[in-house]
Amino acid sequence: MKNLINRIRGVERDVIEKPGDAGDAPFYKPQGDEVEIFRAAYSKRLPVMLKGPTGCGKTRFLEHIAHVLGQPLVTVSCHEDLTSSDLVGRFLLEGEETVWQDGPLTRSVKEGAICYLDEIVEARTDTTVVIHPLTDHRRQLPLDKKSQIIDAHEDFMLVISYNPGYQTVLKDLKPSTKQRFVGIHFDYPAEDVEREIVAKESGGLDADRVEKLVAAGRKARALKDHGLEEATSTRALAYAGELMQAGLSPRVACRAAMIAPITDDPELIQALEEIFDAHFPESEAA
Amino acid sequence: MNDTATNGDAKPEAEELVEIEEILQHLEDISFVAHRDTKEALPAIRPFGATVARRWIATARDLFFHDRESGKSFMRHSARLAEHMQTVELWLEQAARFKEWVNSNYALEGFMAQADRVYATWGEDGEREWAEIGLRWCARSLPDARAYFETDFEKLAGGRGIEGLRALIEPAETLFDERGLTLDAYLEGAPIARNLVGDQGLLSWARRGADLLKAGRSRGEAYFRLESDESLKLLLEALPGFRPRMHGRFLRLVLLAWLDADIPLADSSWKPGEGRPMLETDGRRLFMPAVMDSREEAIVATQHAAAHLAFDTYAQDDVQRLFERAGVEHPPLDDKSRFTWRPLFANYAERMFRFQVLFDLAEDLRVNACIATRIPNFLPRLVELAEQHERPEGAAAVYFDFALKAHQALLHGEEQDPRLTPMLEPDADVVTAWAVGETLFADEAFPEITIEERAEAYLPGLSLNQSLPVYPQRKRDGSLADFRDHEAHDEHKFEREKQEEQPQQAPEQAQKDPDADIQTPQQETSGTGGRIGTGIPQPAQVAKRAAPYVPRKDGIAYPEWDYREQRYISEWVNLYERVLDDENAELAASILADNRDTLKRLKRGLEMQRPQRLAPLRKQMDGDELDTEAVIDFIADKKAGLSPKAFIYRRRAVQHRDTSVLLLADMSTSIMARHPSGEGKIVDRVREGIMLFIEAIDKVGDPCAIAGFASKQRDQVNYYWLKDFNEGLDDTVRNRIAGISGRLASRMGAGIRHSLEAFKRSSSQRRLLLILSDGRPADYDDGGDQRYLHEDTRMAMKEAIDAGVHPFCITLDPSGSDYLPAIFGPGHYTIIDHVDELPRRLPEIYLRLRQ
Repeated sequence: MKNLINRIRGVERDVIEKPGDAGDAPFYKPQGDEVEIFRAAYSKRLPVMLKGPTGCGKTRFLEHIAHVLGQPLVTVSCHEDLTSSDLVGRFLLEGEETVWQDGPLTRSVKEGAICYLDEIVEARTDTTVVIHPLTDHRRQLPLDKKSQIIDAHEDFMLVISYNPGYQTVLKDLKPSTKQRFVGIHFDYPAEDVEREIVAKESGGLDADRVEKLVAAGRKARALKDHGLEEATSTRALAYAGELMQAGLSPRVACRAAMIAPITDDPELIQALEEIFDAHFPESEAA
Repeated sequence: MNDTATNGDAKPEAEELVEIEEILQHLEDISFVAHRDTKEALPAIRPFGATVARRWIATARDLFFHDRESGKSFMRHSARLAEHMQTVELWLEQAARFKEWVNSNYALEGFMAQADRVYATWGEDGEREWAEIGLRWCARSLPDARAYFETDFEKLAGGRGIEGLRALIEPAETLFDERGLTLDAYLEGAPIARNLVGDQGLLSWARRGADLLKAGRSRGEAYFRLESDESLKLLLEALPGFRPRMHGRFLRLVLLAWLDADIPLADSSWKPGEGRPMLETDGRRLFMPAVMDSREEAIVATQHAAAHLAFDTYAQDDVQRLFERAGVEHPPLDDKSRFTWRPLFANYAERMFRFQVLFDLAEDLRVNACIATRIPNFLPRLVELAEQHERPEGAAAVYFDFALKAHQALLHGEEQDPRLTPMLEPDADVVTAWAVGETLFADEAFPEITIEERAEAYLPGLSLNQSLPVYPQRKRDGSLADFRDHEAHDEHKFEREKQEEQPQQAPEQAQKDPDADIQTPQQETSGTGGRIGTGIPQPAQVAKRAAPYVPRKDGIAYPEWDYREQRYISEWVNLYERVLDDENAELAASILADNRDTLKRLKRGLEMQRPQRLAPLRKQMDGDELDTEAVIDFIADKKAGLSPKAFIYRRRAVQHRDTSVLLLADMSTSIMARHPSGEGKIVDRVREGIMLFIEAIDKVGDPCAIAGFASKQRDQVNYYWLKDFNEGLDDTVRNRIAGISGRLASRMGAGIRHSLEAFKRSSSQRRLLLILSDGRPADYDDGGDQRYLHEDTRMAMKEAIDAGVHPFCITLDPSGSDYLPAIFGPGHYTIIDHVDELPRRLPEIYLRLRQ
């Protein structure tokens, strides 16, 4: 409720904010032992690397677990031009004075948040070097410009995500960086789990359609490597479910959420349509 | 009964009779047979009057004197013609005209054999025209006339009477004059072709054939027999329906999605005019006819055929039991170890087709019930197709209806014929189907069925299960996940390569043999078999003593990794650097011309990326404008008491590319294989791909090199430079690319190691080694141990990474995911299983990699 009011008012929210009740945690359905691994890593404040294909729930997992742990979560989406000062901070001019402004990483380190560097490989290589001292026993962040070193807050934790696709061959993480992390591997969830996720995310789509939708999506996944670069993700399934829930006919929803975005290859489109149409007979209207 | 037609030469009856006797007498003196046949036929002619009889016998005599065989034909058929046609004058005159030509006896025989039936069907005018057309052909060429008269007139007419006949023959007459088309060749296929392309299309179809016939007899005849691809293609273009081979990839993707099975598709030998097209399987591939009724039918057919594979219609043990049941101890295997089915049905003798249909019916019901649990719309689609399908006539209808009813019951959960229920039990298998088939066979309600009617008895999409010899399958119980049968793939590759070897050895190409630059050492070995010259090594069986083999050592030496000993063997591989001298300027120009649009698009795409590529270099020592952010940083740092360096400018300039790339192409024989669609070869696409690739890179400005490799044993690895780093992109390079051809095997490790040496000459920070391959690494001397070269390639990859080179593999091998992750690591390869995409994808992949 508070969130809603804030949103209506356009209240700016600080990036570092403790989550509310654990009961409000974003929905996440564990696929395997990822929660246990993460909790263990958290208890020792070890840095964690989340691996897995797009749309399988990495970010959602982290939002969920941060909420459950009652820890603030700071997410930085990395991009090509992200420099180390974007993470660490920089001096700003204010009147005649210069003021140091902490970057999101520095704030997390100081205040004890979980800092999530999403798609870390996209960032410039110099940024990855900054995190090295944070990821071993030192748990320190050097601020070169200020000639300072910050010891991390005891609740600080670093999490990165990493999607080993072929686009990243040339900018793979250095092995010396990789080996500093605890790795948690994600994949698309098992069928029953995926059904539950889609049902929940779509906001109460009826069980029959959820079942068909998930079955169809899993069949479509088999086409990866045969022209599809990215398999049909759980997120795409959830989107399709939401579109159906919003009144679109199943076939249209599937095309919009799961075919159109991922391919332009006419034969592939036909094959995907064949799969979805098989599960949703034409007679089945919205 | 009096034939009082034009009796110009009529004489008094008595005289006529005398003359008849005289002629008879004359014939008796000359030939026993002629006399006998004439005497036998005469009573049938006499009722038409003495004059007619005299003229008939005179004609018979004249024909006999002209050509004994002609005379005999005439005599033999006369009685029948007279009786059936109730006239003599008509055919008598027509037959008499055959005297004009020598050796017209076959044509006359054909004429006499059919005239009465033509008359009965088309009447007098029709018969006249039919004969007239034939006689005109006699004047042109007698073999053609013979073909005309010997071909069943109904077939020529195509069910459209004299009109159809005229339409069929007209193009031939035109083309005979125009380009010397012979009717006998034309008639082989024209009646079928006409059904497909219509009267209008017939002339152009035949003209093409006539040209081919002129160019070469055998090729032309094959065209008209509808045996050559070009003729089929022309016809199929006109044929209505769905063309599975044009949608092969779609159908494959469908199977892949539903059954997780990558089942290769191939063309079946079905030709238009051969009855209903059906999809067949040999247990390794699905053979698709060129045309099927509809897309729906094609989908049902592929799914159904895959169901047979998945649900064990051909499982080894089951088939064994099947044969035992039929009283044959061991299922006979052909030379490729495939089951042959004939003995299975031998006991049923002439009632075999009846049993076969019933047996298939039961088995089809079983696998369809199984597959329906996997594919929700399979049964509804099949039943809908069958309901819309034209119900066959005659005996086939009974079977068709029975099958349809069974499937309808299955779909709607209605009560099944009790005899079929065993098929739906969970433990039913192909042997159960045999038993059910026997039960149904005993039911006399199923009529006898002929081989022609048989195909019509099947529901659309379903087909004969035991038509092709089949490779024994292991029991799969519905899981085709491991279907990617390496053996099948390898064997397929083997066959493709074998096909390709032949033309390479053709004499006119001997001097251009790409293998010629491999100097074969003098070897005193004589083998009794084995095969050299392709990517899949086959040990030669050496029967006699061989001189010891001395490996060559005059090239560049490289080590190789032996996984069995877990160590490098030093100086094991002997590599030669060569420049590919098969330049092909013409082809280069045509490749560029053919891909002009793609190239334009690609270049435009790069152009569009330019502002982005020319993104201002931030924080520079000097430049065109201030970098505001950097300035603030600078001032702030300065105020804060630091002494920052003045990197405060931004500069828009062509950024120095620090990526260099080497494209290493696998140039083994397998790229010479035919393109899956049957047109061209895989190498065509490889050339196009590399050409677009180099043009794109040139535009981008990255240092780049292109090389190829091929090997023949460890001491002869050839490394071909198409373009070195320091060479510019010019026509020589383009011509070399167009000259790429496949040769020998692929020892990938050595190729990679040599590329790493080449990279040492490049100063770039990021170095990308793109490997373009179409199969696993293999060579002749790996003794069939695939793992050896795999492991070596894997080690070469490691060396590459250690040397700061990023290797990335692009493969055309659809089963690449079986071994590439192990060699290159996940994410370091991509599969292009659709070779047509290569030209487009290759530059694209590079551009994405370097981003």
